Amino acid sequence: MKEILFKNARVIDPARGLDAVGDVGVSEGKFAAPEALKSPEVVDLTGKVLSPGFIDIHVHLRQPGNTTAETVASGSRAAAAGGFTSIVAMPNTNPPADTAGAIEYLRRVAEEQAVVRVLPCGNMSKGGKGEEMAGIGSLKAAGVVALSDDGRCIQDHSLMRHVVEYAKSFGLPILDHCEEVTLAAGGVMNEGKWSVLLGMNGIAGASEELIIARNILFAKQIGWRIHMQHVSTAGSAEMLRRARAEGIPVSGEATPHHLTLTDECIKYFDTNYKMNPPLRSESDRQALIAAVADGTITVIATDHAPHTATAKLVEFDNAPFGIIGLETAFPLCFTELVASGVIPVEKLIEKFTVGPAEVLGLRDYSLSEGNPADVTVIDPKAEYVIDKAKFFSKSRNTPFDGRVVRGRVEMTMVGGRIVYRDGRIV
Amino acid sequence: MAQWKRKDLLGLYDLSAEEITFILDTAAEFKKVSQRRVKKVPALRGMTVVNFFVEPSTRTRVSFELAEQRLSADIVNMQAQASSLLKGETLLDTVKNIEALQVDLVVMRHSAPGAQNFIAKNLKCGVVNAGDGAHEHPTQALLDLFTIRERLGAFKGLNVSIIGDIVHSRVARSNIWGLLKLGANVTVAGPSTLVPREFEEIGVRVCHNLRDAVADADVVNMLRIQHERQNSGFFPSIGEYAAWFGIKTSTLRDMKPNALIMHPGPINRDVELAGEVADGPNSVILEQVTNGLAVRMAVLFLVAGCRK
Amino acid sequence: MNSYAQLYDAEQTMRGVRELARQIERHFSVPRCDFALVGIHQMGVPLAKLLCRELAAGGRAPEFGQLDITMYRDDIGTRSMLPRINETVIPFDVNDREIILVDDVLSSGRTIRAALDALTDYGRPGLIRLAVLVDRGEPEFPIRADFTAFRVTLPPERKVMVRFEPDADFPAGIFDVNWHRNQ
Repeated sequence: MKEILFKNARVIDPARGLDAVGDVGVSEGKFAAPEALKSPEVVDLTGKVLSPGFIDIHVHLRQPGNTTAETVASGSRAAAAGGFTSIVAMPNTNPPADTAGAIEYLRRVAEEQAVVRVLPCGNMSKGGKGEEMAGIGSLKAAGVVALSDDGRCIQDHSLMRHVVEYAKSFGLPILDHCEEVTLAAGGVMNEGKWSVLLGMNGIAGASEELIIARNILFAKQIGWRIHMQHVSTAGSAEMLRRARAEGIPVSGEATPHHLTLTDECIKYFDTNYKMNPPLRSESDRQALIAAVADGTITVIATDHAPHTATAKLVEFDNAPFGIIGLETAFPLCFTELVASGVIPVEKLIEKFTVGPAEVLGLRDYSLSEGNPADVTVIDPKAEYVIDKAKFFSKSRNTPFDGRVVRGRVEMTMVGGRIVYRDGRIV
Repeated sequence: MAQWKRKDLLGLYDLSAEEITFILDTAAEFKKVSQRRVKKVPALRGMTVVNFFVEPSTRTRVSFELAEQRLSADIVNMQAQASSLLKGETLLDTVKNIEALQVDLVVMRHSAPGAQNFIAKNLKCGVVNAGDGAHEHPTQALLDLFTIRERLGAFKGLNVSIIGDIVHSRVARSNIWGLLKLGANVTVAGPSTLVPREFEEIGVRVCHNLRDAVADADVVNMLRIQHERQNSGFFPSIGEYAAWFGIKTSTLRDMKPNALIMHPGPINRDVELAGEVADGPNSVILEQVTNGLAVRMAVLFLVAGCRK
Repeated sequence: MNSYAQLYDAEQTMRGVRELARQIERHFSVPRCDFALVGIHQMGVPLAKLLCRELAAGGRAPEFGQLDITMYRDDIGTRSMLPRINETVIPFDVNDREIILVDDVLSSGRTIRAALDALTDYGRPGLIRLAVLVDRGEPEFPIRADFTAFRVTLPPERKVMVRFEPDADFPAGIFDVNWHRNQ
């Protein structure tokens, strides 16, 4: 494998607290001291930012089951184009990833077809139905990095408690989709001013907050990590803030869309604004931004949820929840949070690197010599218009088409191999 | 502004006060047509209107059908159960197939809020919303506005109270937008489970006491209470609802003597409205029905009259 | 921008109105009052009012009505927008009545065709005649005016308009709108 020397980059390595202009060497798929390289290809990155590869711990690849919307191959290319070198594949496929066989299938497909690391996540309950515990031990043996019933939420608190206890003994983190179903039943958007004005069924913020409260209680009682997926309300953020201050092992993620959009967007009935949890109010959005800024929320994850154009081209009530996010996540957050001056770029990169790495329990996720060379390069000055026609994802369900953003992903390297560079998969 | 330029009527939220007044003025002339011996004009001769109801309706459909006939349009009625929606075809495909038959207008009712907005965006032919979920029912609100204007003249400063199941009511929402745009003061009232506080954010008074709601009202618009709301736990029983929020003959003593009583129908007699009040001198309920025809003729004429 | 060229001034136009009134008087040579004038919106209405006044001065007092023909137009659905519908008032029984339709300008004849349909939906008049101030002489339909004061020959794309003072007591003149196009 050839050697590469990245020169003159602004190197941001949050795990080591490093932020300086310098050189990074890669040899044999691993980071290496620049001076140790013999005849490297030199890549000049003047004016660019180089960081450890981004991790997205919340991605739906739709394989098996809905490969018209996405596949491991297309989803992983979308990830590479978005600067992600590792993605966690949610288990709500068809059939669901609740058995060792399903995990082995995903690993084999990923090995053959994926251009980034695809980390499997197994179900907490059989079929994600919330009724019986899945075979967590065999899932662990098959190589899952976490457990989740994403898309659904275990309503039986006793079962959930047992899942957390059992997962702890296997060292598997829980990624929970927090939704109490009776308060969300029939809902298609945030319950608030706009659902009232539009006459739509609302999903109360309390639906999410009840489960977050439950999970905080279990994390404290059991002493095991529970990560709250797509935190969407001010109340959730506040509970998370207090729990973390108390030292309870909980964490939370925010999605780029919850940080940039509100429920008012729905007034034209565009189904690309339909997601679960729903877009909330402006005050919720501001509270999420504050929680990202003060470190309450340590992860930005996309909840990349591909759907075909056909599936979304229906009445709002009948449309599926979710939008794609891999190829727009970083520039959206850079524009909304960094370019606007809310947080510095190194802090944003934390949310894409060490934040998710900590949730997965990965140690030393950094550019240290000897680590696998997963790298993301950003041009912080580049401004461009999002064009969904150029996406690598098989789906186009995004509300961000045509939006002007800053902070372009220039290059993605996985294990020392450049997989994405200047708009192309290599 | 003395002209109409829209190919669709989707809701009153989109319309300006001038456009609403324009429709009401046009409706006034169409009302006269129904008072003649020849109750028909050739305005939409040669045009085809499809009444596509993906939710059952009798009154609104009959009113639209009659309006279409009096405009000399050719009519096709489609019901949800008769349509191919049950065979797994998407709504858009169904409606595009209708349009491909060279139809000029689709009058549509659907249970999903915004379904007509979605359809109108994807069709060249005109779309008239005959009710979309709890979102809007523009022709009902226009006929309510027409009736109020005919009786009371102007809207500025008028107190209009809408009482009942506001949260599930498209009639309430369309009325609220129309009344606010025309300068009336709007109150919504009913049990707190059915009357969300969020309406205050757009300048509507929210109250949960019938007496307060009717005391200063020039117009009281009573909404039909659906019995299934009781099962969903919004209130304990129809009896309790009637006791606290129904208008009885005794309620009239708390009201302005000439206040108008309106109801979009069908009435639950002695639940939201005592029979004596529905039939009494304050009631304009049957005038609403008559005016509904004129308003729908005007709306169909205007949207069909614009080149697509 | 429309430009206007005056074809007849206010004085000349008023003389035309009186001439029209005299023609109507001659037609109904026995003084009788049971005929009616029905003005067609827009400009036929003030013209019919003026004619009524002139006829009243001559001892006749015909009944007066006004008619909007928008619902009877033959171009609905082909225009980008619709004009406001004006009030139709026919305050008398049209059955067996002798009616003079009044419009300012006879151009294509399509308005009159629509007016005949509209009027006959109110009943079965005994007789209908047509009075126009200006006859452009080249109708697209086989419709002719029975009474007319001016004959104006201009290319069809030019529009001839009679204008009235706001109180409608007196005409402001007859104008060639869009005249600049051919200058």
